[in-house]
Amino acid sequence: MHELLLFASVPVHQHHGLLQQLAGLTAMQPRHALERRLIFKAFRKPGLITGRVGGSQDLQQASAGDLQRVNKMLNGGMFYTQVVGPVSEKDFAPASKSASAPDADTKMAGMDESKPSVLTQPDNAHVYDYDQQAWKLEFRDIPEAATRSAITTRVMASAALPRGDIEPSMNAWGYGFVTEYLVEGDVFIHNDIVIFLHRVLHYPTGEKEPREPRRNLPALKKMAPLEKTGSYVLQASITVQDGSNQETMKTASQHLLGLREQLKSAVRLEPADRLSLDTRAK
Amino acid sequence: MNSKQQLTVQFRSSLQSQASIISNNLISVTDHLSDHRDLLSSIVAYPGPEYPGRTQESMLQQLLRTKLDPRVEDWVARGRTAGTESSQSSRGFPGTIPNPSGPATTKQLSESELSELWNWAPIEANQEALQRNWGGNYTLEEREAGIQNVVTGLRRQLEDDDASEDEEEGDEDEGEDEMDVVGVHRKSGGGLEFEIAPHHPHAVTPVVPLDKILRYMTTGHMP
Repeated sequence: MHELLLFASVPVHQHHGLLQQLAGLTAMQPRHALERRLIFKAFRKPGLITGRVGGSQDLQQASAGDLQRVNKMLNGGMFYTQVVGPVSEKDFAPASKSASAPDADTKMAGMDESKPSVLTQPDNAHVYDYDQQAWKLEFRDIPEAATRSAITTRVMASAALPRGDIEPSMNAWGYGFVTEYLVEGDVFIHNDIVIFLHRVLHYPTGEKEPREPRRNLPALKKMAPLEKTGSYVLQASITVQDGSNQETMKTASQHLLGLREQLKSAVRLEPADRLSLDTRAK
Repeated sequence: MNSKQQLTVQFRSSLQSQASIISNNLISVTDHLSDHRDLLSSIVAYPGPEYPGRTQESMLQQLLRTKLDPRVEDWVARGRTAGTESSQSSRGFPGTIPNPSGPATTKQLSESELSELWNWAPIEANQEALQRNWGGNYTLEEREAGIQNVVTGLRRQLEDDDASEDEEEGDEDEGEDEMDVVGVHRKSGGGLEFEIAPHHPHAVTPVVPLDKILRYMTTGHMP
Protein backbone atom coordinates (compact mmCIF):
# COMPACT_ATOMS: atom_id res chain seq x y z
CA MET A 1 0.00 0.00 0.00
CA HIS A 2 1.03 3.56 -0.57
CA GLU A 3 0.34 6.60 1.50
CA LEU A 4 0.19 10.16 0.19
CA LEU A 5 0.69 12.89 2.74
CA LEU A 6 0.69 16.60 3.32
CA PHE A 7 1.58 18.29 6.58
CA ALA A 8 1.16 21.64 8.22
CA SER A 9 2.20 23.10 11.51
CA VAL A 10 -0.69 24.62 13.44
CA PRO A 11 0.09 27.12 16.21
CA VAL A 12 -1.88 26.47 19.38
CA HIS A 13 -3.92 29.66 19.10
CA GLN A 14 -5.21 28.53 15.73
CA HIS A 15 -6.16 25.05 16.91
CA HIS A 16 -9.70 25.77 18.05
CA GLY A 17 -10.57 27.75 14.96
CA LEU A 18 -9.13 25.12 12.66
CA LEU A 19 -11.10 22.36 14.39
CA GLN A 20 -14.27 24.26 13.62
CA GLN A 21 -13.21 24.97 10.06
CA LEU A 22 -12.44 21.30 9.49
CA ALA A 23 -15.75 20.28 11.06
CA GLY A 24 -17.46 22.60 8.63
CA LEU A 25 -15.48 21.40 5.65
CA THR A 26 -15.92 17.70 6.36
CA ALA A 27 -19.44 18.02 7.74
CA MET A 28 -18.58 15.82 10.69
CA GLN A 29 -17.73 16.22 14.33
CA PRO A 30 -14.09 15.64 15.22
CA ARG A 31 -13.39 12.13 16.42
CA HIS A 32 -11.06 12.44 19.36
CA ALA A 33 -8.21 9.97 19.32
CA LEU A 34 -5.54 9.00 21.85
CA GLU A 35 -2.85 6.62 20.71
CA ARG A 36 0.07 5.07 22.50
CA ARG A 37 2.90 4.87 20.05
CA LEU A 38 5.85 2.63 20.76
CA ILE A 39 8.94 3.07 18.64
CA PHE A 40 10.90 -0.06 17.89
CA LYS A 41 14.21 -0.28 16.12
CA ALA A 42 15.62 -3.25 14.26
CA PHE A 43 18.78 -4.62 15.84
CA ARG A 44 19.31 -7.68 13.71
CA LYS A 45 20.62 -7.72 10.22
CA PRO A 46 17.86 -8.55 7.77
CA GLY A 47 17.77 -12.08 6.43
CA LEU A 48 18.61 -13.74 9.72
CA ILE A 49 15.00 -14.53 10.32
CA THR A 50 13.72 -16.96 7.79
CA GLY A 51 10.32 -18.29 6.97
CA ARG A 52 8.57 -19.17 10.15
CA VAL A 53 8.92 -17.03 13.18
CA GLY A 54 9.56 -18.82 16.41
CA GLY A 55 9.62 -17.26 19.79
CA SER A 56 6.18 -15.84 19.62
CA GLN A 57 3.46 -18.22 20.61
CA ASP A 58 1.03 -15.37 20.63
CA LEU A 59 1.53 -14.72 17.01
CA GLN A 60 0.07 -18.10 16.10
CA GLN A 61 -3.26 -16.56 16.93
CA ALA A 62 -2.88 -13.94 14.28
CA SER A 63 -4.23 -14.92 10.91
CA ALA A 64 -1.90 -16.56 8.41
CA GLY A 65 -2.16 -13.65 6.04
CA ASP A 66 -1.10 -11.22 8.69
CA LEU A 67 1.76 -13.48 9.67
CA GLN A 68 3.06 -13.48 6.14
CA ARG A 69 2.76 -9.76 5.80
CA VAL A 70 4.47 -9.14 9.11
CA ASN A 71 7.33 -11.38 8.07
CA LYS A 72 7.74 -9.58 4.82
CA MET A 73 7.70 -6.22 6.54
CA LEU A 74 10.15 -7.12 9.20
CA ASN A 75 12.69 -8.84 7.00
CA GLY A 76 12.92 -6.12 4.40
CA GLY A 77 15.71 -4.15 6.00
CA MET A 78 16.71 -2.31 9.12
CA PHE A 79 13.89 0.00 9.99
CA TYR A 80 12.28 1.88 12.76
CA THR A 81 8.73 0.76 13.11
CA GLN A 82 5.82 1.84 15.23
CA VAL A 83 3.42 -0.11 17.33
CA VAL A 84 0.23 1.83 17.83
CA GLY A 85 -2.31 1.14 20.54
CA PRO A 86 -5.53 3.09 20.82
CA VAL A 87 -6.39 4.15 24.36
CA SER A 88 -9.20 6.18 25.84
CA GLU A 89 -9.22 8.94 28.41
CA LYS A 90 -10.61 6.51 30.95
CA ASP A 91 -7.41 4.48 30.70
CA PHE A 92 -5.41 7.23 32.31
CA ALA A 93 -4.99 7.64 36.03
CA PRO A 94 -7.49 9.95 37.75
CA ALA A 95 -6.68 13.59 37.25
CA SER A 96 -5.31 14.35 40.69
CA LYS A 97 -4.67 11.99 43.53
CA SER A 98 -4.96 14.67 46.19
CA ALA A 99 -8.56 15.31 45.18
CA SER A 100 -9.58 11.67 45.11
CA ALA A 101 -7.84 10.71 48.36
CA PRO A 102 -10.36 12.31 50.75
CA ASP A 103 -13.17 10.56 48.91
CA ALA A 104 -11.44 7.27 49.37
CA ASP A 105 -10.96 8.05 53.02
CA THR A 106 -14.61 8.75 53.65
CA LYS A 107 -15.54 5.56 51.90
CA MET A 108 -12.95 3.60 53.77
CA ALA A 109 -14.34 4.66 57.14
CA GLY A 110 -17.29 2.32 57.12
CA MET A 111 -15.85 -0.33 54.88
CA ASP A 112 -13.98 -3.55 55.17
CA GLU A 113 -10.27 -2.78 55.35
CA SER A 114 -9.00 -6.08 54.07
CA LYS A 115 -8.36 -4.71 50.55
CA PRO A 116 -6.72 -1.34 51.08
CA SER A 117 -4.89 -1.36 47.77
CA VAL A 118 -8.10 -1.48 45.74
CA LEU A 119 -9.68 1.26 47.77
CA THR A 120 -7.41 3.96 46.45
CA GLN A 121 -9.51 3.69 43.32
CA PRO A 122 -13.24 4.24 43.47
CA ASP A 123 -15.06 0.95 42.88
CA ASN A 124 -16.59 1.87 39.57
CA ALA A 125 -13.36 3.30 38.18
CA HIS A 126 -12.03 1.89 34.96
CA VAL A 127 -8.56 0.43 35.40
CA TYR A 128 -6.13 0.32 32.53
CA ASP A 129 -5.35 -3.27 31.65
CA TYR A 130 -2.08 -3.51 29.78
CA ASP A 131 -2.65 -7.18 29.01
CA GLN A 132 -5.78 -6.33 27.06
CA GLN A 133 -4.24 -3.45 25.12
CA ALA A 134 -4.80 -3.87 21.38
CA TRP A 135 -1.82 -3.17 19.14
CA LYS A 136 -1.24 -2.52 15.50
CA LEU A 137 2.11 -2.66 13.78
CA GLU A 138 2.58 0.29 11.45
CA PHE A 139 5.43 0.08 9.03
CA ARG A 140 6.36 3.15 7.05
CA ASP A 141 9.09 3.28 4.44
CA ILE A 142 11.19 6.37 3.79
CA PRO A 143 9.24 8.69 1.44
CA GLU A 144 9.93 8.24 -2.23
CA ALA A 145 12.56 10.60 -3.56
CA ALA A 146 11.15 13.60 -5.38
CA THR A 147 8.96 11.70 -7.82
CA ARG A 148 5.94 13.77 -6.88
CA SER A 149 7.60 16.64 -5.16
CA ALA A 150 4.37 18.43 -4.27
CA ILE A 151 3.28 15.50 -2.10
CA THR A 152 5.02 13.09 0.23
CA THR A 153 4.53 9.51 -0.93
CA ARG A 154 5.66 6.43 0.91
CA VAL A 155 5.12 2.71 1.07
CA MET A 156 3.18 1.65 4.12
CA ALA A 157 1.78 -1.49 5.64
CA SER A 158 0.08 -2.31 8.87
CA ALA A 159 -0.94 -5.50 10.58
CA ALA A 160 -2.81 -6.44 13.71
CA LEU A 161 -0.71 -7.71 16.60
CA PRO A 162 -1.68 -9.83 19.57
CA ARG A 163 -3.06 -8.03 22.58
CA GLY A 164 -1.14 -7.38 25.73
CA ASP A 165 2.59 -7.29 26.25
CA ILE A 166 4.02 -6.84 22.81
CA GLU A 167 7.67 -6.46 23.66
CA PRO A 168 8.68 -10.16 23.71
CA SER A 169 7.17 -10.68 20.28
CA MET A 170 8.92 -7.64 18.90
CA ASN A 171 12.20 -8.74 20.44
CA ALA A 172 11.83 -12.11 18.83
CA TRP A 173 11.48 -10.38 15.47
CA GLY A 174 14.66 -8.49 16.09
CA TYR A 175 13.17 -5.24 17.20
CA GLY A 176 14.21 -3.40 20.33
CA PHE A 177 12.07 -0.92 22.22
CA VAL A 178 13.31 2.64 21.80
CA THR A 179 10.77 4.96 23.34
CA GLU A 180 7.11 5.65 23.53
CA TYR A 181 4.91 8.68 23.42
CA LEU A 182 1.28 9.55 23.26
CA VAL A 183 -0.46 11.11 20.31
CA GLU A 184 -3.50 13.19 21.06
CA GLY A 185 -5.69 14.63 18.38
CA ASP A 186 -8.81 14.69 16.28
CA VAL A 187 -9.62 12.78 13.13
CA PHE A 188 -11.77 13.98 10.27
CA ILE A 189 -12.68 12.15 7.12
CA HIS A 190 -13.12 14.19 3.98
CA ASN A 191 -14.05 11.94 1.04
CA ASP A 192 -10.96 9.76 0.69
CA ILE A 193 -8.74 11.98 2.80
CA VAL A 194 -8.02 11.29 6.44
CA ILE A 195 -7.27 14.52 8.27
CA PHE A 196 -5.52 14.09 11.59
CA LEU A 197 -4.88 17.17 13.69
CA HIS A 198 -2.62 15.94 16.44
CA ARG A 199 0.28 16.59 18.76
CA VAL A 200 2.79 14.51 20.64
CA LEU A 201 2.53 14.23 24.42
CA HIS A 202 5.36 13.10 26.62
CA TYR A 203 5.00 11.02 29.71
CA PRO A 204 5.87 13.02 32.81
CA THR A 205 9.57 13.37 33.27
CA GLY A 206 11.31 12.70 36.53
CA GLU A 207 10.89 8.96 36.49
CA LYS A 208 13.77 7.32 34.74
CA GLU A 209 13.21 6.39 31.14
CA PRO A 210 11.72 2.91 31.13
CA ARG A 211 13.31 0.18 29.06
CA GLU A 212 9.98 -1.34 28.11
CA PRO A 213 6.48 -0.16 27.35
CA ARG A 214 4.60 1.20 30.36
CA ARG A 215 2.10 -1.02 32.08
CA ASN A 216 0.34 1.93 33.70
CA LEU A 217 -0.63 5.28 32.35
CA PRO A 218 -0.19 8.50 34.33
CA ALA A 219 -2.84 11.18 34.60
CA LEU A 220 -3.54 12.71 31.24
CA LYS A 221 -3.10 16.19 32.67
CA LYS A 222 0.47 15.40 33.65
CA MET A 223 1.42 14.68 30.07
CA ALA A 224 3.46 17.49 28.56
CA PRO A 225 3.42 18.37 24.85
CA LEU A 226 6.66 17.72 22.97
CA GLU A 227 6.33 21.15 21.43
CA LYS A 228 6.40 23.43 24.45
CA THR A 229 3.95 25.97 23.05
CA GLY A 230 1.48 23.13 22.45
CA SER A 231 1.28 23.50 18.69
CA TYR A 232 -0.38 20.84 16.58
CA VAL A 233 0.50 19.01 13.40
CA LEU A 234 -2.08 18.75 10.67
CA GLN A 235 -1.68 15.64 8.57
CA ALA A 236 -3.77 14.95 5.51
CA SER A 237 -3.32 11.49 4.05
CA ILE A 238 -4.77 9.20 1.42
CA THR A 239 -4.03 5.49 1.38
CA VAL A 240 -3.77 3.85 -2.01
CA GLN A 241 -4.07 0.08 -2.15
CA ASP A 242 -2.24 -0.34 -5.43
CA GLY A 243 0.65 2.06 -5.54
CA SER A 244 1.81 0.87 -8.95
CA ASN A 245 -1.38 2.13 -10.56
CA GLN A 246 -0.39 5.56 -11.81
CA GLU A 247 -3.99 6.56 -12.43
CA THR A 248 -5.12 6.09 -8.83
CA MET A 249 -1.97 7.69 -7.48
CA LYS A 250 -2.61 10.71 -9.69
CA THR A 251 -6.23 10.98 -8.61
CA ALA A 252 -5.22 10.71 -4.98
CA SER A 253 -2.61 13.43 -5.23
CA GLN A 254 -5.06 15.65 -7.05
CA HIS A 255 -7.53 15.21 -4.22
CA LEU A 256 -4.86 16.15 -1.70
CA LEU A 257 -3.86 19.20 -3.69
CA GLY A 258 -7.51 20.14 -3.89
CA LEU A 259 -7.74 20.00 -0.12
CA ARG A 260 -4.62 22.11 0.14
CA GLU A 261 -6.31 24.69 -2.06
CA GLN A 262 -9.44 24.62 0.09
CA LEU A 263 -7.53 25.09 3.31
CA LYS A 264 -5.18 27.65 1.82
CA SER A 265 -6.49 30.59 3.76
CA ALA A 266 -6.29 28.68 7.04
CA VAL A 267 -3.14 26.58 6.89
CA ARG A 268 -0.41 25.92 4.40
CA LEU A 269 -0.27 22.18 3.72
CA GLU A 270 3.11 21.10 2.44
CA PRO A 271 5.05 17.94 1.76
CA ALA A 272 7.29 16.94 4.64
CA ASP A 273 11.04 17.01 4.60
CA ARG A 274 11.89 13.54 3.30
CA LEU A 275 14.70 12.92 5.76
CA SER A 276 12.56 13.82 8.73
CA LEU A 277 10.41 10.81 7.86
CA ASP A 278 13.42 8.56 7.32
CA THR A 279 12.60 5.28 9.03
CA ARG A 280 15.80 3.50 8.07
CA ALA A 281 17.88 2.46 11.06
CA LYS A 282 21.54 3.17 10.56
CA MET B 1 13.23 56.45 -0.34
CA ASN B 2 13.21 59.91 -1.91
CA SER B 3 15.76 59.18 -4.57
CA LYS B 4 13.93 56.02 -5.56
CA GLN B 5 10.64 57.83 -5.77
CA GLN B 6 12.16 60.63 -7.74
CA LEU B 7 13.54 58.10 -10.17
CA THR B 8 10.18 56.50 -10.73
CA VAL B 9 8.56 59.90 -11.05
CA GLN B 10 11.09 60.95 -13.66
CA PHE B 11 10.63 57.69 -15.46
CA ARG B 12 6.90 58.16 -15.50
CA SER B 13 7.03 61.74 -16.72
CA SER B 14 9.36 60.77 -19.57
CA LEU B 15 6.97 57.96 -20.49
CA GLN B 16 4.18 60.46 -20.56
CA SER B 17 6.03 62.86 -22.83
CA GLN B 18 6.94 60.03 -25.20
CA ALA B 19 3.32 58.98 -25.34
CA SER B 20 2.16 62.50 -26.08
CA ILE B 21 4.71 62.83 -28.90
CA ILE B 22 3.45 59.61 -30.44
CA SER B 23 -0.16 60.63 -30.17
CA ASN B 24 0.57 64.08 -31.67
CA ASN B 25 2.20 62.42 -34.66
CA LEU B 26 -0.74 60.08 -35.07
CA ILE B 27 -3.15 62.97 -34.87
CA SER B 28 -1.33 64.90 -37.61
CA VAL B 29 -1.28 61.82 -39.84
CA THR B 30 -5.02 61.22 -39.42
CA ASP B 31 -5.66 64.92 -39.99
CA HIS B 32 -3.79 64.80 -43.28
CA LEU B 33 -5.60 61.66 -44.33
CA SER B 34 -9.05 63.03 -43.57
CA ASP B 35 -8.31 66.47 -45.04
CA HIS B 36 -7.25 65.02 -48.40
CA ARG B 37 -9.71 62.17 -48.30
CA ASP B 38 -11.39 63.09 -51.61
CA LEU B 39 -8.12 63.54 -53.41
CA LEU B 40 -6.58 60.36 -52.03
CA SER B 41 -9.65 58.20 -52.78
CA SER B 42 -9.68 59.24 -56.44
CA ILE B 43 -5.98 58.55 -56.98
CA VAL B 44 -5.01 55.47 -58.95
CA ALA B 45 -1.47 54.25 -58.51
CA TYR B 46 0.34 51.97 -60.88
CA PRO B 47 3.99 51.04 -61.33
CA GLY B 48 6.21 52.62 -63.94
CA PRO B 49 7.30 50.50 -66.89
CA GLU B 50 10.83 50.20 -65.52
CA TYR B 51 9.57 48.47 -62.35
CA PRO B 52 10.80 44.85 -62.24
CA GLY B 53 7.32 43.36 -62.08
CA ARG B 54 8.43 39.74 -62.40
CA THR B 55 11.07 39.63 -59.73
CA GLN B 56 9.54 42.05 -57.24
CA GLU B 57 5.91 41.02 -57.61
CA SER B 58 5.22 40.42 -53.95
CA MET B 59 6.49 43.86 -53.03
CA LEU B 60 4.23 45.34 -55.65
CA GLN B 61 1.25 43.43 -54.28
CA GLN B 62 1.96 44.74 -50.84
CA LEU B 63 2.15 48.33 -52.04
CA LEU B 64 -0.95 48.22 -54.20
CA ARG B 65 -3.22 46.34 -51.83
CA THR B 66 -6.68 47.83 -51.78
CA LYS B 67 -7.78 45.77 -48.82
CA LEU B 68 -6.08 45.85 -45.47
CA ASP B 69 -3.86 43.11 -44.21
CA PRO B 70 -5.92 40.70 -42.03
CA ARG B 71 -3.71 41.56 -39.08
CA VAL B 72 -4.21 45.24 -39.57
CA GLU B 73 -7.90 44.70 -40.02
CA ASP B 74 -7.98 43.12 -36.60
CA TRP B 75 -6.25 46.12 -35.11
CA VAL B 76 -8.69 48.45 -36.74
CA ALA B 77 -11.66 46.42 -35.51
CA ARG B 78 -10.26 46.39 -32.00
CA GLY B 79 -9.65 50.10 -32.13
CA ARG B 80 -13.17 50.74 -33.37
CA THR B 81 -14.81 48.70 -30.61
CA ALA B 82 -12.63 50.34 -28.01
CA GLY B 83 -13.59 53.73 -29.37
CA THR B 84 -17.31 53.02 -29.36
CA GLU B 85 -17.15 51.47 -25.89
CA SER B 86 -15.44 54.46 -24.35
CA SER B 87 -17.73 56.90 -26.08
CA GLN B 88 -20.75 54.91 -24.88
CA SER B 89 -19.55 54.70 -21.33
CA SER B 90 -18.60 58.36 -21.28
CA ARG B 91 -22.26 59.14 -21.79
CA GLY B 92 -22.53 58.44 -18.12
CA PHE B 93 -22.90 55.08 -16.47
CA PRO B 94 -23.60 55.19 -12.77
CA GLY B 95 -21.02 53.53 -10.54
CA THR B 96 -17.91 54.84 -12.24
CA ILE B 97 -15.42 56.95 -10.41
CA PRO B 98 -15.74 60.70 -10.81
CA ASN B 99 -12.47 62.46 -11.30
CA PRO B 100 -11.97 64.75 -8.37
CA SER B 101 -9.71 67.23 -10.12
CA GLY B 102 -12.60 69.14 -11.64
CA PRO B 103 -16.16 68.51 -12.80
CA ALA B 104 -15.53 70.21 -16.14
CA THR B 105 -13.04 67.55 -17.27
CA THR B 106 -14.84 64.58 -15.67
CA LYS B 107 -14.28 61.40 -17.67
CA GLN B 108 -15.96 58.10 -16.89
CA LEU B 109 -13.85 54.97 -16.92
CA SER B 110 -14.93 52.05 -19.04
CA GLU B 111 -15.38 48.54 -17.62
CA SER B 112 -12.02 47.33 -18.85
CA GLU B 113 -10.29 50.46 -17.62
CA LEU B 114 -11.90 50.01 -14.24
CA SER B 115 -10.84 46.39 -13.93
CA GLU B 116 -7.37 47.38 -15.04
CA LEU B 117 -7.31 50.03 -12.37
CA TRP B 118 -8.45 47.57 -9.74
CA ASN B 119 -5.82 45.11 -10.83
CA TRP B 120 -3.11 47.67 -10.67
CA ALA B 121 -4.10 49.65 -7.61
CA PRO B 122 -3.78 47.10 -4.75
CA ILE B 123 -0.21 46.19 -5.61
CA GLU B 124 0.83 49.78 -6.09
CA ALA B 125 -0.93 50.82 -2.91
CA ASN B 126 0.66 47.96 -1.04
CA GLN B 127 4.10 48.92 -2.26
CA GLU B 128 3.50 52.55 -1.49
CA ALA B 129 2.23 51.61 1.95
CA LEU B 130 5.35 49.60 2.64
CA GLN B 131 7.48 52.64 1.91
CA ARG B 132 5.66 54.94 4.24
CA ASN B 133 4.78 55.12 7.86
CA TRP B 134 1.02 55.30 7.58
CA GLY B 135 -1.18 56.28 10.43
CA GLY B 136 -3.31 59.21 9.50
CA ASN B 137 -5.27 60.81 6.76
CA TYR B 138 -2.45 63.08 5.65
CA THR B 139 1.16 62.46 4.78
CA LEU B 140 3.94 64.31 6.48
CA GLU B 141 4.63 66.30 3.33
CA GLU B 142 1.02 67.32 3.09
CA ARG B 143 0.90 68.34 6.72
CA GLU B 144 4.03 70.41 6.37
CA ALA B 145 2.60 72.16 3.34
CA GLY B 146 -0.61 72.80 5.22
CA ILE B 147 -3.52 70.39 5.14
CA GLN B 148 -6.03 73.00 4.01
CA ASN B 149 -4.32 73.00 0.59
CA VAL B 150 -4.70 69.28 0.04
CA VAL B 151 -7.18 68.32 -2.63
CA THR B 152 -8.73 65.09 -1.45
CA GLY B 153 -11.71 64.97 -3.76
CA LEU B 154 -13.81 63.81 -0.85
CA ARG B 155 -16.97 65.61 0.26
CA ARG B 156 -16.63 64.69 3.94
CA GLN B 157 -14.12 66.35 6.14
CA LEU B 158 -11.10 64.33 7.18
CA GLU B 159 -10.05 64.55 10.78
CA ASP B 160 -6.51 65.26 11.60
CA ASP B 161 -5.90 65.06 15.28
CA ASP B 162 -3.64 62.43 16.72
CA ALA B 163 -5.89 61.54 19.63
CA SER B 164 -8.66 60.18 17.44
CA GLU B 165 -6.16 58.17 15.42
CA ASP B 166 -4.86 56.48 18.53
CA GLU B 167 -8.37 55.66 19.57
CA GLU B 168 -9.12 54.03 16.28
CA GLU B 169 -5.96 51.99 16.41
CA GLY B 170 -6.81 50.86 19.90
CA ASP B 171 -10.22 49.73 18.76
CA GLU B 172 -8.71 47.74 15.95
CA ASP B 173 -6.44 45.86 18.29
CA GLU B 174 -9.32 44.80 20.45
CA GLY B 175 -11.39 43.38 17.61
CA GLU B 176 -10.79 39.64 17.63
CA ASP B 177 -12.19 38.76 14.26
CA GLU B 178 -9.95 41.14 12.41
CA MET B 179 -8.25 39.74 9.37
CA ASP B 180 -4.74 40.82 8.57
CA VAL B 181 -3.74 41.13 4.98
CA VAL B 182 -0.28 39.61 5.12
CA GLY B 183 0.58 40.02 1.48
CA VAL B 184 -0.61 40.75 -2.00
CA HIS B 185 0.81 39.09 -5.06
CA ARG B 186 -0.18 38.23 -8.58
CA LYS B 187 -1.64 34.86 -9.31
CA SER B 188 -0.03 32.91 -12.09
CA GLY B 189 -3.23 32.88 -14.09
CA GLY B 190 -3.73 36.60 -13.70
CA GLY B 191 -5.68 38.44 -11.08
CA LEU B 192 -4.76 39.10 -7.51
CA GLU B 193 -4.29 36.95 -4.50
CA PHE B 194 -4.60 38.31 -1.01
CA GLU B 195 -3.07 36.32 1.76
CA ILE B 196 -5.13 36.88 4.81
CA ALA B 197 -4.78 35.42 8.24
CA PRO B 198 -7.09 35.76 11.19
CA HIS B 199 -5.78 38.43 13.47
CA HIS B 200 -5.00 36.92 16.80
CA PRO B 201 -4.18 38.94 19.88
CA HIS B 202 -2.08 36.21 21.50
CA ALA B 203 -0.32 34.57 18.60
CA VAL B 204 2.27 31.98 19.57
CA THR B 205 4.55 30.63 16.92
CA PRO B 206 5.74 27.06 17.45
CA VAL B 207 9.29 26.72 18.71
CA VAL B 208 10.02 23.23 17.40
CA PRO B 209 9.85 23.11 13.60
CA LEU B 210 7.57 20.62 11.92
CA ASP B 211 10.32 18.39 10.58
CA LYS B 212 11.83 17.97 14.04
CA ILE B 213 8.46 16.84 15.36
CA LEU B 214 8.06 14.40 12.50
CA ARG B 215 11.56 13.10 13.08
CA TYR B 216 10.77 12.47 16.70
CA MET B 217 7.55 10.73 15.77
CA THR B 218 9.40 8.49 13.36
CA THR B 219 12.55 7.57 15.24
CA GLY B 220 12.18 8.87 18.77
CA HIS B 221 15.14 11.24 18.52
CA MET B 222 14.54 14.21 20.76
CA PRO B 223 14.66 17.50 18.88
